[in-house]
Amino acid sequence: MSGSEPSLLTGYPRKNGRWGFRNYILILPLHNVLNQLAEEVRLNHPAQSVITSVAHDWSGEIDSDWDRIHRVFSGFAVNPNVGATIVIGVGSAAEEEIVEAARAKREMPIAYLTLRDSGGFDNLRQRLMESVSEVFPLVASIKRESAPWSAIVLGLECGGSDAYSGITANPALGVASDKFVELGGTSILAETMEILGAEHLLAARAKTPEVGQAIIDVVARYERSITYEGIDIRGAQPSRGNIEGGLTTLEEKSLGAAKKAGNAPFTGVLDYAYLPTEPGLYFMDTPGHDIEQLTGFAAADVNITVFTTGRGTPTGSAVIPTIKAATNTEMATALPDLIDLNAGTIADGTETLAEVGARIFNEIIEVANGKLTAAEKGGHREFNLSRLYGSTQ
Amino acid sequence: MITGYANNSRGVGVRSLQLILPSVVCSTHLSKKVAEEVGAITFSHQHGCAIIGPDVAGVNDFFVALAGHPNIHSTLVLGLGCETLQGNELTESIAVKFPETKYVVIQESAGMTGALELSVEAARQLRVDAPHAPLDHLVIGVEGNPEAGLLDGFADLVAKAGHTLVLSNDFKEPSRNFAKLIRERTHVIASFPDANQPPTGLPLIPVVTIANTQSLLHQALVDDFDCRSGTSAEHLFERLLAVANGEASKSEAKKIGEIVVPRMVRSV
Repeated sequence: MSGSEPSLLTGYPRKNGRWGFRNYILILPLHNVLNQLAEEVRLNHPAQSVITSVAHDWSGEIDSDWDRIHRVFSGFAVNPNVGATIVIGVGSAAEEEIVEAARAKREMPIAYLTLRDSGGFDNLRQRLMESVSEVFPLVASIKRESAPWSAIVLGLECGGSDAYSGITANPALGVASDKFVELGGTSILAETMEILGAEHLLAARAKTPEVGQAIIDVVARYERSITYEGIDIRGAQPSRGNIEGGLTTLEEKSLGAAKKAGNAPFTGVLDYAYLPTEPGLYFMDTPGHDIEQLTGFAAADVNITVFTTGRGTPTGSAVIPTIKAATNTEMATALPDLIDLNAGTIADGTETLAEVGARIFNEIIEVANGKLTAAEKGGHREFNLSRLYGSTQ
Repeated sequence: MITGYANNSRGVGVRSLQLILPSVVCSTHLSKKVAEEVGAITFSHQHGCAIIGPDVAGVNDFFVALAGHPNIHSTLVLGLGCETLQGNELTESIAVKFPETKYVVIQESAGMTGALELSVEAARQLRVDAPHAPLDHLVIGVEGNPEAGLLDGFADLVAKAGHTLVLSNDFKEPSRNFAKLIRERTHVIASFPDANQPPTGLPLIPVVTIANTQSLLHQALVDDFDCRSGTSAEHLFERLLAVANGEASKSEAKKIGEIVVPRMVRSV
């Protein structure tokens, strides 16, 4: 592969230089009281097929997690897979701050409708219906174009790992990730807990000593924050599902998880939901919680994700197409409507790592170009606000 | 005298609802589909995995309270299979007290289509037409901070009628204060949202909302509230009894409100 190879990608060009592989109208409620209303309008509007929405449990509280919440909402609102966003809120200064931050991040249609201005739920529902109708022709007028390899901002994720993860799907995803990085794309490894014990190996691949130190520091900071709660993380992980899947220690899980990032050098380390600034391979500090990771990716301009799984999981993002790669043939066969591709063939001896890596690479291109994933077909739109502090503090 | 429903092991409630309980974020989407199909209630659960320390038992215990609430006649727990909060153990801890409980797990159901079929079937098996039953002893929750005069008068009426009052005002956000009122098995709630908070409700407990007339937000949303501050204790009490007897509160009719699961520490 070489950087001059012509791109096979198509996407929606965005004014901030990013590319979308989907072109959604996003309805983003900023208060849990509006979850239902967002969903009702999504399901009842004639433009239903291009509308996406999320639900969450935030009720506008400003606490120790405000920076993180603010960053996630404002970043999520402008994900490149979104053509226009309609934020619905109660009508508060905190909400206005989020909307302003989103508008500063990307020039795009962002409407903000509130309960206060609408004078109630029924009027807000009506206004939201009208707002979707108003923005629909504008979004529909944005057409797919040929996109450069640099359009790819790939999220690497694993969940429900088993003993096969580290020898099948994860290294095969690493092959695909390496190819995209070589071609000028961006790839992001995450889940700090899942590199704990393998951080020195990743740090050795850093482009600069500063980046290497940052990888070590992020893991140390993470372990401190858990120890602060009086918990031995190395005792709490691997999870019981992982143990049933054949994993024995956190280090074993980490060595396998890190293989998703192939062998490319690390360009940088990102805090949760922070944006990569130039192409290359990154590490992002996220929880291992699948949906907190996926939400952090979405807020950081990730536009496509591959999610390897040993036990099988149905989840997806409201804005990022999420490709499920099975680590073993038994599960891929047992849970067919959860899985997009099977990497278990490596363990079966019927395909090589390179062959499955090429298959994942091609699947990423096809999905980027419009092919629907299992999670998209199932209507999955999971979302979660990640907190460093509890919600009852 | 209130006419409620005999919800078997869960006691006499003012509603008779079925709960589809997602034990983890990964089964929330399926729970919504099942709830729509069978006419049950559910909620957007965000957690259940990557939880540590006090949250493991805390979330489990909260779910037992939710699943065993007297306004619920039965609970179907939906799990993924590999999550921290294991659905089978959660189901056992619910079923030991409340036998009208079942469990379906996605990873053992041939995928989402299979899990949906199994879940709908299980929910229908659990479904009962709970008979009416007298409810002499009502547990009434008060969320937020009503004016002292109103609260005193209201507390007198509640005590004289032989009912019980539970207060919850730790937070400014009603949805966070509701957690305690769910645990305390309140049948109905009078909610006095903070001036900056909209009226809200809960899928399993009817919530009567009282607008603060000093609040610009509440003034704008006055049609979405049941009452206004300045209302008499008698009027509020009557309204709660009417709702306990089956009349829909504003938030109930508009299906407003989310169940928020309390968390003590960060996710891993």
